[in-house]
Amino acid sequence: MTVLAVSSLAKRYRRGGKPFAAVDDVSFEIGRAETLALAGPSGSGKSTIARLVLRLIEPDAGRVDFEGADFLALSGAALRARRARIQMVFQDPLAAFNPRVTVARVLDDPLRIHGIAPRAERPRRIAALLERVGLDAGLAARAIHEISGGQRQRVAIARAIATRPTLIVLDEAVSALDVSVRGQILELLLDLQRQERIAYLFISHDLGVIRAVAHRVVILDAGRIAESGDARAVIANPRSAIGKALVAATPRLTRNRP
Amino acid sequence: MNRLHRFFRTPEAIAGAIILALLIVMALAAPLLFPGDPQAIAGPTLLPPFQDWSLPLGTDRLGRDVLAELFHGARTSLAVGLAAAAAALLIGSVIGTLAGFAGGLIDEVLMRITDAFQTVPSFLLALAFVSIVGPSLSVVVAAIALGAWTGPARVARAEVLSIRERDYVAGARVIGMHPLEIAFREVLPNALPPVLALSSVIVAAAILTEAALSFLGLGDPNRVTWGGMIAEGRAVLRTAPFLSVVPGIALMLTVLGVYLAGEGVVESTAVRRSLS
Ligand SMILES: Nc1ncnc2c1ncn2[C@@H]1O[C@H](COP(=O)(O)OP(=O)(O)OP(=O)(O)O)[C@@H](O)[C@H]1O
Ligand SMILES: [Mg+2]
Repeated sequence: MTVLAVSSLAKRYRRGGKPFAAVDDVSFEIGRAETLALAGPSGSGKSTIARLVLRLIEPDAGRVDFEGADFLALSGAALRARRARIQMVFQDPLAAFNPRVTVARVLDDPLRIHGIAPRAERPRRIAALLERVGLDAGLAARAIHEISGGQRQRVAIARAIATRPTLIVLDEAVSALDVSVRGQILELLLDLQRQERIAYLFISHDLGVIRAVAHRVVILDAGRIAESGDARAVIANPRSAIGKALVAATPRLTRNRP
Repeated sequence: MNRLHRFFRTPEAIAGAIILALLIVMALAAPLLFPGDPQAIAGPTLLPPFQDWSLPLGTDRLGRDVLAELFHGARTSLAVGLAAAAAALLIGSVIGTLAGFAGGLIDEVLMRITDAFQTVPSFLLALAFVSIVGPSLSVVVAAIALGAWTGPARVARAEVLSIRERDYVAGARVIGMHPLEIAFREVLPNALPPVLALSSVIVAAAILTEAALSFLGLGDPNRVTWGGMIAEGRAVLRTAPFLSVVPGIALMLTVLGVYLAGEGVVESTAVRRSLS
């Protein structure tokens, strides 16, 4: 079953007065409980695609179908309600949260906004979410800047799964973490995918990580798809020039998965 | 604690804090020390200061106790200054946040309105407003706020423009938060520090504007004000200059105190920012 279908997506920006395509004729699909990775050099349009898919910016052309319905046709309250099903985890877990709030507030917001649990029941839900992502429930009372980067990224994942989404977009979600923490977070993501059947749009410039978690990969170059296919197959035997360059730039790939 | 320490490190801040503290004590103590109507006749007319110790600062043309008037005037000045500044900061941050967060046409319209208010001198605006609506304490507060909200609005807008690009705002949209809740609950509180840094200047200006309005006879007639006292004393400036000089000095010290204390606060938070 297809969760997300993107077709002929395009987004243009102006650079030095001249228009250029940040995303150009990009199409892909993600199925239930599937991980699709977006790879590509810096500036190839990965984050722009993420923001388009999440309706944080609007495309110049193309379609986005989410759970079989036209996602671009939604607006206002209907769009906000639909957002419960498609969530995001950002790269910098510190920048992703209002600097003045507590962990409890972060997790309370989605539960309140989407009416998932009445006020009295929310503290219990919050504790359960924290435990689900491997954190101590006592962390709820802490300010968001009082916990470690790894813990913060777990809170971000807890917020993303609070509304039981079918798709989570992860834009370089493990890039800012150090190697040991990164492994644990990837394990958590895989575990959640197995249990909740969540699909991931997994953006990374690290082919080693992509090979470890992704089923399929799309390699982007200057806003266009250079190649795509089974993650292990593409990484083992890239056909496009940019794919070859990315593989060559990832020495860890010569060893086995991390 | 630390911040308080830094605040009290500069002599200017200490001086400002002392003046402000005295002023607040005066304002609070006025009804206790001078329980009667400060505008009632208390003795012979035009009694010079330091003659009669029951009337230490003497009396004015009508025989009213100048010290009582001074204390009650502090109440009015402080109340009007703080209320007008609070109103200006509130209106300014709400309008600035809406403009900066919404962008596009809403921003354009709100900023043109801000421009319009800014081009009219704020004192003329207050003067016109009070002349039309009629003098009372709340009208004076509104009139002063009307000319003072544009600065906070601009600062809030600039701050909101940079904050709205942050990831956490995108995160709030992703979880489906309503735009108004994002603007006022997520963005505005984080945009406030530079807006609040304007408050000392705004309070000081508001106190001066109130005095000027009262001087012109546009203050609340049922309240003693320092501006009104100065105007009263003007008629006998040659023979009894203290009637204008005493409230004049009080006004000057107050504005200075507010300004110095405000600078001290800004200074101590600036240090904290550059350290973190
Ligand atoms: N708001 C914007 N205005 C103008 N140009 C933009 C804007 N956002 C992105 N771009 C440009 O679009 C291109 C794609 O940017 P994008 O952020 O999607 O790249 P990316 O693949 O995520 O890169 P990175 O790996 O560095 O995160 C870049 O050239 C970028 O400069
Ligand atoms: Mg990016």
